[in-house]
This record gives sequence, C-alpha cells and structure tokens, in this order.
Amino acid sequence: MNVEISGLTRRFGRTTAVAGVDLQAGPGVLGLLGPNGAGKTSLLRVMATVVPPTSGRLRLLGRDPGQYGPRREIRRRLGYLPQNLGYYPGFTVAEFVEYFALLKEMPAARVPAAVAAAVERVELGGKAKARLRTLSGGMLRRAGIAQAIVNEPELLLLDEPTAGLDPEQRVAFRGLLRHLGQRATVVVSTHLVEDVGAACARVALMDRGEIVFHGTPADLTARGQGHGIGDAPLERGYSAVISAARS
Amino acid sequence: MTAPRVPATARRRPATRRSGLASARLLRLELRHNAMLWMLPVAVALFWFTTYRKTMAMPPLWNLRAANMQSGALADFITPVVGAAAWMGSREARRHTTDLVTITARPRWARLLTTWAATTGWAIAGCLGCLAVLYTVTARQAGWGGPLWWPAAVVAASLAALSAIGFAAGTLVPGRLTAPLAAVAAFFMLALSTELIVGSQSYWQISPLVTGPWDAGPNAGVGTFYPYLPDLSIAQAMFLAGLTIAVLAALALPRGSGGRRLRAAAAAACAGGLVAAGTAVALAGTGKLDAHGMIAIPALHDAANDRPIRFSPVCSQTAIPVCLNPAYASYLPAVAAALKPVLHEIAGLPGAPVRISQAAVTYQQGAGNSVGASLAGPPVSGRPPVYHLLLPDQLPGPVTTVSELAAAARLTAGPAILASVMGDGPGASQAQHAVTAALVMAAGLPPHGIPPAADGQPGTPPEVTPGSPAYAAAQRFAALPASARHAWLVRHLTALRAGRVTLAQLP
Amino acid sequence: MRAAAPAGSARPARPLPGGTRLVRLHAISRRVPAAVAAIAACALGLRLALIGHWDSYGALQLPLVFEAASAMAITITTASPLGEPERAGGRWLPFLRLASAMMLTAAAAAALAAAGTGAHLAGGPLDVLRNVAGMTGIGLLCAAALGGGLAWAGPAGYLVAGAYALYTQWHGPALTTPWIWPARPPHDLGAAICAGLVFAGGIAVISVRGARDRADE
Repeated sequence: MNVEISGLTRRFGRTTAVAGVDLQAGPGVLGLLGPNGAGKTSLLRVMATVVPPTSGRLRLLGRDPGQYGPRREIRRRLGYLPQNLGYYPGFTVAEFVEYFALLKEMPAARVPAAVAAAVERVELGGKAKARLRTLSGGMLRRAGIAQAIVNEPELLLLDEPTAGLDPEQRVAFRGLLRHLGQRATVVVSTHLVEDVGAACARVALMDRGEIVFHGTPADLTARGQGHGIGDAPLERGYSAVISAARS
Repeated sequence: MTAPRVPATARRRPATRRSGLASARLLRLELRHNAMLWMLPVAVALFWFTTYRKTMAMPPLWNLRAANMQSGALADFITPVVGAAAWMGSREARRHTTDLVTITARPRWARLLTTWAATTGWAIAGCLGCLAVLYTVTARQAGWGGPLWWPAAVVAASLAALSAIGFAAGTLVPGRLTAPLAAVAAFFMLALSTELIVGSQSYWQISPLVTGPWDAGPNAGVGTFYPYLPDLSIAQAMFLAGLTIAVLAALALPRGSGGRRLRAAAAAACAGGLVAAGTAVALAGTGKLDAHGMIAIPALHDAANDRPIRFSPVCSQTAIPVCLNPAYASYLPAVAAALKPVLHEIAGLPGAPVRISQAAVTYQQGAGNSVGASLAGPPVSGRPPVYHLLLPDQLPGPVTTVSELAAAARLTAGPAILASVMGDGPGASQAQHAVTAALVMAAGLPPHGIPPAADGQPGTPPEVTPGSPAYAAAQRFAALPASARHAWLVRHLTALRAGRVTLAQLP
Repeated sequence: MRAAAPAGSARPARPLPGGTRLVRLHAISRRVPAAVAAIAACALGLRLALIGHWDSYGALQLPLVFEAASAMAITITTASPLGEPERAGGRWLPFLRLASAMMLTAAAAAALAAAGTGAHLAGGPLDVLRNVAGMTGIGLLCAAALGGGLAWAGPAGYLVAGAYALYTQWHGPALTTPWIWPARPPHDLGAAICAGLVFAGGIAVISVRGARDRADE
C-alpha cells in the first residue's frame, strides 16, 4: 500500500477539516469526491506533506512523513497539483517544469529529457518556450500537471486537475491517468463524477471531513438506484450517499 | 494528453542526491528571472549621476577615487539591492507557489539560498562592472600607483550583506510593502550610522560608508607617501561577512527548512557570524587615526605598511625645480607655473633652496571629528637647503580641481618660500618684512597677507600693514627692475637674514 | 443552496450608502489601510528622529527619507488584485483611483508636516508637500509602466538622487536643476512647478489607465 491513513484528523483553528479519516490505497487511480468544504483539499494537502496531520497515523510509500529524512524521500517520489496553481509568470513552460524537476532532486542529467517528456505528455510541446503569462487557463493547468508528473511519481495527488480543460483534453487526461495508475497511486480530487467514472478504479466520497463512502464506481452507482438525484447514475449514487450521510 | 513514447524508467530508483549540476541549473533559472535585473538600470543610472561624475572630477589619485567610489557606490546600490532582494524573498508568497515548493525534496533553505545567490550575483556583477569602468578610466589618467582592491572588496561584501538582509525581510514578512520599506530603512540606517561617529575610535566606523576619518572625507594626502592601510577595510569586510552568514543561517533555523543536522549547523553558523561581526565592531572601536591619515587597528595592523613608499619624484624644469610625488604628476605643470614667478625672484640667491620638494603630511586627531594636518619636520632642511612643500589637497578639506589647487599653492606656498629665503617670520626685522612683502608684490601675489583659513603652509610671513614705513619700503623695493632687485639681494641677503639691514638701507 | 433569514432574527443594521461602501471596498482592495499605517509610522519615525541633532545637509536629507517612504506606500496602493473583472466593471474606477491617490498624498504631507511641528524640520511644511507630491508622482508614473508591485523603484532611486543633490549644496558643485526639487529652497517656484507637473502627470495617468495590470499578482 502506498497510502495508509488511520484515524487522521486535521484542524485549522476551530475548524476540523478532516475528521478521523481511514483510507488505504495502492497502485491505481482513486477518485475523491465530495461537496464544497468537505475536506478533500485538506486531505490532499496532508497527503502531499504540505501540512502535518493534527492527529492520527499516516504512512506514505511505506514511510512516516513525520520524520525529516523519510519525508524527503517521499517528496522525491511525489507529484502534487494544488487546486489554486501558483506560478511564475516570467518562466516558460519548460523552465517551470524544469524548476520543479530540479527541486524534486531528479538527477540533473535526466532532467532535460524528463521535462520534454512531461511537456509532451500534456500536449504543450508546441508551447514549451512560451511564457506562462501568455497561456490560457487550461494550458496553465496542463503546465501544472506536467510539473506534477515530471519525476514519474509513485504517488500523484491531483486537486481539480481538469478545471479549464476542454472536453477533448479531458478525455486525453483520463487516458493519462489510467496509464499512470498502472504503476503509481493516483488520487484525484474532483467535482466531475464523469472523470471519476472514466478513470478511477476506486472512489472515496467525503462529507464534512469524513469519508462516507469507499468503493468502486459501480458500487457508488448501485447506491443511487432508486434513491439519488441526478442525470447520470454516478451523480445519483453521489447524492444518495451524501443524503444518507447527512440524515 | 498522450501515453509516453519513452519507456518509463525503473520504479524503485535509489534516493537522488543533489549534484553540483542540479544546483547550477537551478541557479541559472534563478539568474534568468530575477528582479535585480530590473533594478540594475536604476542602480547604474544612480552610479553615473552621483558617483562616477563626481569621482571623475577629482584628480586622478587612486586613493581619492577609490575612497569616493566606496562610499558612493554603496549609497547608489543600497535601495535597489535591498528592495530587489526583499521582492525576491517574498516571491513564493506573492505567487502562491508555497504549497508547490514545500512538497519538493530540496530543503527549503537550499532553495532560498539559490534565489538569494542569484539576486546577489546580479547586484555584485552590476556594481563591479561600474567599478571596472571607473578604475579603467582612472588607470588611463593616473600617472602612478595602481587600483586599490580593498574598497572594491568592501563594496562587494556590503552588497552581499544588504541582499541577505533584504531577502530575509521579504521571506519573513512577504507583504507588498516590505520591499520599499526595507529599502528605505536600509538607506536610513546606513546614513544614520555615520552621524554617530565621533573621533577615530568610534565603533560606528565599521559602517562600510567610512573609508577614513569620517568628517575629513576622501583625502588626496593619504596612500601616496605611505601605503593605503587596509585595517579598516578588513574589519568592515569581516563585519559584513559575519552579518551575511548570520542572516542567511537564520533562514535555516525554522522547522521545515532542513534536516536536524542542517539546522544545527545553521545555528552554529549563525552564532559564528554574529561573533565575527561583533568582533569586527570591537576592532573598529580600537582603531585610531595614524600619522599618515588612515585608521590603524592594532590587531589588524601590518607594520610593513608603516614604511614609506619608495618613489622617484617628478620634477619641473623651472629655475628651482619643483618636485612632486609621482602620484601628483598631473599637478606638476600647473603648480610649477603657479610658483614660477616666486622661484624667479629667489633663484641663484645665497641660501635659496635648490629644490622645492613635496613632503608628506602628519595627521592628528582633534576634538570631535576634526583632523589636523601639518608638515612633519621643518619647512627647510638639508645642505644645500630643500624647501618642503605641502599641496593644499594634502590637507583635510574639499577636493579641488588642478587649477584651483595651483592657485591655492601660489597663494600659500609662494609667500612661505619667500619668507624662508629672507629669514622672515616672528621676531624678524622690519627690513626682512619689507623685502619679503616686496617680493610677494613683485611675484604678483596679494600684498596684504593671506587669510588665516587659507594658510596651510608653515612659515607664512606676517602681514605688512599698508601705510606703515615697512610697506612704503616694500613698495619702493618692488618697483625696482627685477635685475636690480636680484643684484641687491645677492650682495645683501646674508646681512638681511642676520638682521643687520634697516629699512632706510633698502633701495 | 437554501434561502436564509430564519424567523425572529434581529433587524439588520442600516446599510451604508452605496457610494460609501464602494469607496470603502475599493480602499480595502488596494490595501489603503496598510498604506495609511505605513504613513503614520513614517510620521512617527520622523518625529522621533527629529529629537536628535542633525547637522547641515543631514537635516534636509532626514525628512526626505520619510517622504520617500510615504510616497512608496502610496504607490503600492495602485496595484489591483482584481484585474479584468474590475476593469470591465463600470465608470467609477478612474474617480476612485484619483480620489485614493490624492487623499493619500494629502494625508502623507499633512502627517509628516504635523510630525515636524514644533521640531526643527528643515524646509518646513511647503518642502514636505512638494517632495511628497513630486515623489508620489514619480511612483504613479512607474506604476503605470511597471505595475504597482515594482513602482517603488522610482521613488527609491529618486531618494538617492535627492539626497546626493542636498549633499552637493555643502560640497559643490551644487546641483541646482529644479527637476531635483528636494535640493531647491522651499519657496522655489521652478521646483514647485516641476514637482507639481510630475504629480499631475502621475495622477492623470493612474486615474485613466491604472497601474499596469498584472492580473496574476
């Protein structure tokens, strides 16, 4: 298992963003669904070692991120795309990806090839030398994905990765996710249930800081039969689980 | 998004070690996208406007120009450097990349250090470029000596320290107001540091703006007869290096900046830097003005710098040669021309000096920040006699142009030379006063004495009051043809000096 | 999403007029409160510094440092964090920018002049007003060219030039051009005109165009 979470809690002041979450994930794509404010981003940030858990147990890639040395090893094998992507407008796409490749301590000799490959994978090869300030929102998002995958991470955490992507790019992105999930653990936080259905082998649903469902997309669909509200089976399953959790 | 055409490498690769190449590539990225690049034109423009033009207007003396360069370049670069460094320090917060960079493997301190290094690199490169231009032009103009490197080293060390302080401010307080307020605060503190200097044993002369006794300013009289003392520069460089290390090491202290060993090393480095800076301040407080016009710090002093510089003087082709230290060679034509009328009056007289030779100045610390300067020995010495000349620029005061200096030398040294030949001075006879005054008038100098403030030469003759018998005798003697005056002096100068000639006996 | 307003709640406070609310929100978006705090700190700093004895050109350079800091604080408020939505929002933006810059400049000049009241403020209130207005104008012009974030570089550079020009009044040759107005006497008309022109130009440009828009800041 690349992700082992047990009783994990994260508080910000008086707000409990993540409340006693248990989760395990191995290689494959795990979708993380939930309404606004459910704690998805907070959970992802804890898993990305951006913030430490307030309590509970967390192991990533077989290591304890609470210790400096293991945490550094985890970060060499980690890729993360935050919900609000910060960037340096004067950097080109290639420079931006290269910057993070170097910060992730990839061997310097391998960086140019890895950067080129990552940029091609997100179909920004023609824009590799364009400055980030000139890119559209969707292209910026793809540049963010490129920096997350440049080191071929074993644990990839993506928060709203398809925001701003057009339908064709979203289809291509799902294919990339499935490919990455063959060897790595990919956790995708999204509002788009069709992304989850198309790319994810397993789904976790969060509400009010807790995981209220963990299973396959088919299981989620089944929960919605005759109970949920929505235009698609997964949407009905989603709403049914949320309603049940809140009642 | 496409499936990769390049086969994936092995999943479980060993831990990647940072390499020099990776650090160099990161540095290259930082250098290409650094705010200091935007600030360099501002700094260079300020350098040209305030420091370069003023320095080039000074005589081509290395000590003078290097001292002015040190103070001026620092004042010009401080606000752009501190502001740019603070701007770069706050970059991660302003660009909202904190989360992205936090989860990378490279220690936070190493990442910040790379950004700081890029900022400082551009700052130092820009400043040294300006210095190179200034030194190159000076090298073409100066007739003697060579570039002084300690002032350049102090400037470089200052920029590193200022950049570190600005960068730390931006990192700790990543607000929009941090960069401008840090820049102004640094400028204010640097200016304030010099206001607190009293005397030559002040701790505040550790300020890199200080190149010597503070209120004396850049002085053309130092570093020419005796070596330029690096004592104060060494203390300043030590202070700045210690400060830089302490500030940068402090950035590694917060949790998450690095591993335990790195943070322990940073704590030790921070302490060491503070000790070095404090020691340097204490050393500066032990410094004092030496006889040659520079700040000597006993613990850093090399006794070899107390030995005079060997040089071959440059001399004029006048009736009595005027010989100057080769550093002042550019002054020789103007000074010789200014003294020519005086030398014409005394050339060939018994007891007249065979040479007018520039001498070194002895400096003394006065009350507060005042500095006194005088000739080390008597104005005339040796057999045959040599007159020892001080150029006005060797004395504390504003730096003058060559023509201004020559005019001042004529007004101060001319009468003093005449008085020394005539034996005039306090206690001399009326006839001696009258003859000296007559020669002064004949040489075209003001007959009514020299204002005390302009009198830097020893042995300036007492004033002869208009309307007095001595003044009338002086006017008669001055009215004689030059050959008649000279012939009379050849016959009677010895008796005149002995006090055996009366006013009535003057022609 | 549910409708709000539970029964029996207290009557809400009477809202401020729309214009006042707009001005207040605009000021908050531009970090005007922080700039006001910085200006107040500059005034306090000047007052404390004037307790000491400052000689010759130091007495004139000292207020210039605080005047420059105030001008930089005003310049920072030109940066807009909102970008295009604000520009497309309506016709009040130029007036808001104009009012913000004018009032902050007046506040800075008043605060620094007040700080010097009863102390030995070389140059007096006229000097303060001229210098603050002129340097603010430089900052506003830089904001239009470089963006609000980096616009402080203009007043920072001018501070060094002004301080040097003051120094040359004691160690000649003196710089007497009216374009370096800090080195001119307080009642010098040429210097006042130059500073006024720069201020007017900066105000005009920033009101009409605003700071160069870097929407990613």
